[in-house]
Amino acid sequence: MDGQGLRLQAFLRRFFRPAGDPNLARINRRRTMFSFIARRMTVLKLALFIAGYVWIFSVPSSQLDRGVYFDENALQPGQVNAYWNWKEVHDADHFLGELEILRDSNATSEQRSQFIMNEFLRIGLPASTQNYEFTGLSKGLNGTNVYAILRSPRVSGAEATIISASWISRVNEGDGTLNLRGVATVLALSRFVKQYSLWARDIIFIIGDGYMEGMQAWLSSYHGVTQSNLRAQPLELTSGVVWTALNIDYPGHSLSHLGIFHEGLNGRLPNQDLLNSFQYISRRTGVPVVLYDHKDELDLGWLPDNIRNHPEIKTYAAQARNLWRHVRYQASGRGSGVHGLFHQYRIDAFTIFAVPAAGPHGFHSLGRIIESTLRTTNNLLERLHASFFFYLLTSFDRFVKIGNYLPSVILISVAMMFGGLQVWVDAAWMERRLDKHEEGSTGMVWVRRRRPVLEAVSIVLGTHILGAACFFFLSHKWYQSLPFTSPLLWVAAYILPLAVPRFFPQNITDNIAPLSLVLKAFNLCLSSTVISIISVLNFSLAACLAVALGIPLSVASSSSNGAMGMVRYTMYIVLGFGWLLLDETRKQMIWDWDILGVWLLPFLCVVYYPLSLQAALVCII
Amino acid sequence: MLRTSLFLISLLLSSVFCLENINEEFEEHLSIKSLRDGRVTSSFSFTTLLRDAIPRDPRTLAFDDDISQHYTLFPLSLGQILRQYAITELHLTLNAGKWNYDTWGYPDEPDVGVGAELRAWMAGDSISSIDERWQGVRNALAGLFCASLGSLDEQRTTSPRLSFPPEGALPDWGLPHELRHASHASEHVCTENLTPFLKLLPCKSLSGLATLLNPHRIFDADWHGIGLHVLWRPEGVEVRLNVQLVSDPLRISAQGKQDWSFHSLFDRKVEKACPVASSTRVSVELPNSGVYRVYPEPQEIKDGKAYYNLKNNNEAWNIGTMWPTDFEYRICHAALSPPDPALVPFSVTRNLLGPTQDRGELSIVLTNNQQDTLQLLYLETMPWIVQFYLHTIRVHSDNVPRDDLVSNISYVLPVPHARPATFESVLTLPGRSTLTFSMDVAKAFLRYTEHPPDAQRGWDLPPAIFTPLNQSLNEPMSLGSRVYTPSLLVDLATPDFSMPYNVIIFTCSVMAFIFGSVFNVLTRKFIVVRLDPPRNQSASRAEKRLENTDSDTSNELNTSKSGVH
Repeated sequence: MDGQGLRLQAFLRRFFRPAGDPNLARINRRRTMFSFIARRMTVLKLALFIAGYVWIFSVPSSQLDRGVYFDENALQPGQVNAYWNWKEVHDADHFLGELEILRDSNATSEQRSQFIMNEFLRIGLPASTQNYEFTGLSKGLNGTNVYAILRSPRVSGAEATIISASWISRVNEGDGTLNLRGVATVLALSRFVKQYSLWARDIIFIIGDGYMEGMQAWLSSYHGVTQSNLRAQPLELTSGVVWTALNIDYPGHSLSHLGIFHEGLNGRLPNQDLLNSFQYISRRTGVPVVLYDHKDELDLGWLPDNIRNHPEIKTYAAQARNLWRHVRYQASGRGSGVHGLFHQYRIDAFTIFAVPAAGPHGFHSLGRIIESTLRTTNNLLERLHASFFFYLLTSFDRFVKIGNYLPSVILISVAMMFGGLQVWVDAAWMERRLDKHEEGSTGMVWVRRRRPVLEAVSIVLGTHILGAACFFFLSHKWYQSLPFTSPLLWVAAYILPLAVPRFFPQNITDNIAPLSLVLKAFNLCLSSTVISIISVLNFSLAACLAVALGIPLSVASSSSNGAMGMVRYTMYIVLGFGWLLLDETRKQMIWDWDILGVWLLPFLCVVYYPLSLQAALVCII
Repeated sequence: MLRTSLFLISLLLSSVFCLENINEEFEEHLSIKSLRDGRVTSSFSFTTLLRDAIPRDPRTLAFDDDISQHYTLFPLSLGQILRQYAITELHLTLNAGKWNYDTWGYPDEPDVGVGAELRAWMAGDSISSIDERWQGVRNALAGLFCASLGSLDEQRTTSPRLSFPPEGALPDWGLPHELRHASHASEHVCTENLTPFLKLLPCKSLSGLATLLNPHRIFDADWHGIGLHVLWRPEGVEVRLNVQLVSDPLRISAQGKQDWSFHSLFDRKVEKACPVASSTRVSVELPNSGVYRVYPEPQEIKDGKAYYNLKNNNEAWNIGTMWPTDFEYRICHAALSPPDPALVPFSVTRNLLGPTQDRGELSIVLTNNQQDTLQLLYLETMPWIVQFYLHTIRVHSDNVPRDDLVSNISYVLPVPHARPATFESVLTLPGRSTLTFSMDVAKAFLRYTEHPPDAQRGWDLPPAIFTPLNQSLNEPMSLGSRVYTPSLLVDLATPDFSMPYNVIIFTCSVMAFIFGSVFNVLTRKFIVVRLDPPRNQSASRAEKRLENTDSDTSNELNTSKSGVH
């Protein structure tokens, strides 16, 4: 054993410190290594791409996720007796009746908020309303929020918890279905919690007008953030720092499952402990929990029976469906509901969505679950922290850890970086047939040539400036008012870059590398950097970018055939700017940017479109 | 025989008792008031007067022989502390909750700041002697009241100029008197503070009004606080112990009625009077309107208050008030009835705005509820972790910039890691107006050892204090009743003190290492250069070629293609 160890040691020493000059040995070793990698670059790149894509598509499998657990011991979920009972259900029904009368009489939002405020006041809570109005692009969008604050007994009022409901439910991303039962639940809860002295912090009840905009106005005012296109009344009542918030959405008549919606604006996620506590409490209370509103199994009727019923396939399909929904919410930056607005102020929030059904649950179960969840967050001594913010929920009780999902995108980004560096190196060398009369000829030799860096950098900068200009037009007021602006902008974005080859005429010489190669190298390295940075901030967006840009940018090449080059150019422009022609998507993105400050529109214009435009230019230069 | 001797001894004792009583006087008083929002405030005060006593002259601290301390009613443990550190005036309050001035009005005892607040007036010829005694007295009181008053250290101690004038008189020893003030908003008051508090009373909680001090009920009240006040008047040294609470009968009984009685509020009755108290009185403020019944029948009604003397009666007392109807909260019907006017001349809200952890904005909104112009003394005693930018002070009156409304600013700069800032100024509120005062603040970046346990909670900032200045032509300026704002919580940049924090540190080290290596590879190139003198022509040529391969301008042929350049 000892002898073996010594032998191994000797071997290692020989390997790392061979006889002779150690520096020389190191330099040689490094050379060998680099040339080894360089010679197999294509294989390596391909392997990285394949590994990355396979990894991305295996994230939903049950092999990469694990069951959820609690990290914060102070939470102690489900350890209390819930006092919410039929009396409170009766209250909620009573409030619901009143709200239905209001709905049927087509009450204005002013009347509605006045009514709700009076109900809060009658309960004995200080309450107030807040008028808001958006100007600029969304001129005329206005409403009235109403809120009440329970000044909890015995506490200093330096901390608060929020219970909120928006007037419009999140059904079909706020299609206008009213959240009457959600509002009734909040009213009944406010009456209920006032009977107890056990709250460790103030509780704020908010009924936000509209779907997202009301809450955005309220939160901006509460945190003293000014938004240039928002005129919101200052809040008369304030409380302390908010750590957690629950948003209640109950659009149906009864509920069968409770759904969790958790994605926030610009890819932020709430602390996972909050979601874990809720699902634990809900299941203990007897109400099944689902992620989003996915209560029905996915229909896989087109698959053969024996594959469809395989448990692994079934799990994969269900989890892939959840993840796809997650990716759509997170990558769009819009979040999945009103709770998403809270995250920007470091408030952990999620929506409890009562999945509409004919039964069997209703106010009774929902109230008990909310009460217990509130008691759990009430136990917190400090903000939810630890690094429980990086996760992908594959199901309500299973999640993928950051270590299991992040490498997929990073691998693709590394492959792109390697590709970029390879192109960069290739651009510097040219193979040339050796003149006959030179001595020691071996046929072919490698010649160095100059790389036109300045030109490539100016093209890259130019594309980003063009993207910024597009963004400026898109977010301008008259863009919406004039007709045919989108096709015009699209055509402009398509035609303007065509002038680039005229500015950089190609003089094909042996001494200078073709501009397209250098541009491609820059393009690949830049995209790779962008993807790796985004992967930590908004994994879904990074994954979408990796899939959309990874292979396409790597295969961009100039074509001697002009028509072929134009076809490729067009394809890249469609890839990068095609979304502009999708009317609904574009309008939604502009609204999101204008009202909520979602970064997707500027990102697409200033980063994503220029990246694909650079690849497009590679094809025609 | 035994019985006779016992009788004699007790007779002797009682005569001593009576003799001593001439110099010491103990009074207890309870005032109860129903509030507009259905709550009930009860304010207990237990006053002991030590006649003809004067505080200790600090110059005698050098000599060990102080006068001997013999008290019968005056609490000895407190007397020892007062004399040991030569304290002239002392105020200690431990409160929980947020006093709602607008609907509850001014409290009977004005010191209602949340958490612990301690202030003392001390005479002294040198600052160091005062600071030493201040440290001594807060440690001694921490021991006496089982409260963490020891944390009211230099980082929380201030000496505001105007806001806390002495309540009693200051002896004229030819020495300057100094004020030391400190508050700690996150200190919680609980049973362990009440028990030593009750021990300072001559009857403990066995008889008299102190019987009602049931910890289960006091610490369940919406607002509760205990206070100790020592002050000197020419007739002697006065110690006033007080307990104040705001209970919610609507929450306790869940009957929808605001009825209260000793039994419902405290779960106790006054069974017997304290024998050594010279007076035991209860006053009940009668509601302004409505039908109600106060029981038992008051002995005296004066100025809208019913008075009871509990001294000369051996029955159990259960004073209370009943209403025939359920309590209803006032609601406002749009413009028909404006919300109830506030009960105080001005209302305050104070907030720390801004979502980031490095900057913020301190915003104060003051509303003058009267027609007359109000002048307010505004005091901030801010720990150094929140630093003011005085040049950013913005004052708006009804949204019109009015910089002239802030005057007489005095500012003691904070010293990082050592001393808090003291900011005092006078704000002028025009009649029926809303004044907005805002100031940018910077949030400090702490050393990692300075973070408290549960670091992610943030730091509690002490309340601000507003005192109206009553100015009239022929009288000197006097101060009105202090108004405390609620405390604030500030988020500072806080590392995650947990396992992932270590992971982040480790990952950062690895990243730095990888970056270094990669950067090295990208920017430098290692080649072999032989430095020994050339032996022959061919060797030197070979070396020359090797060198040239590295120069970028060279067009020399290279036989191998290098990997990453």
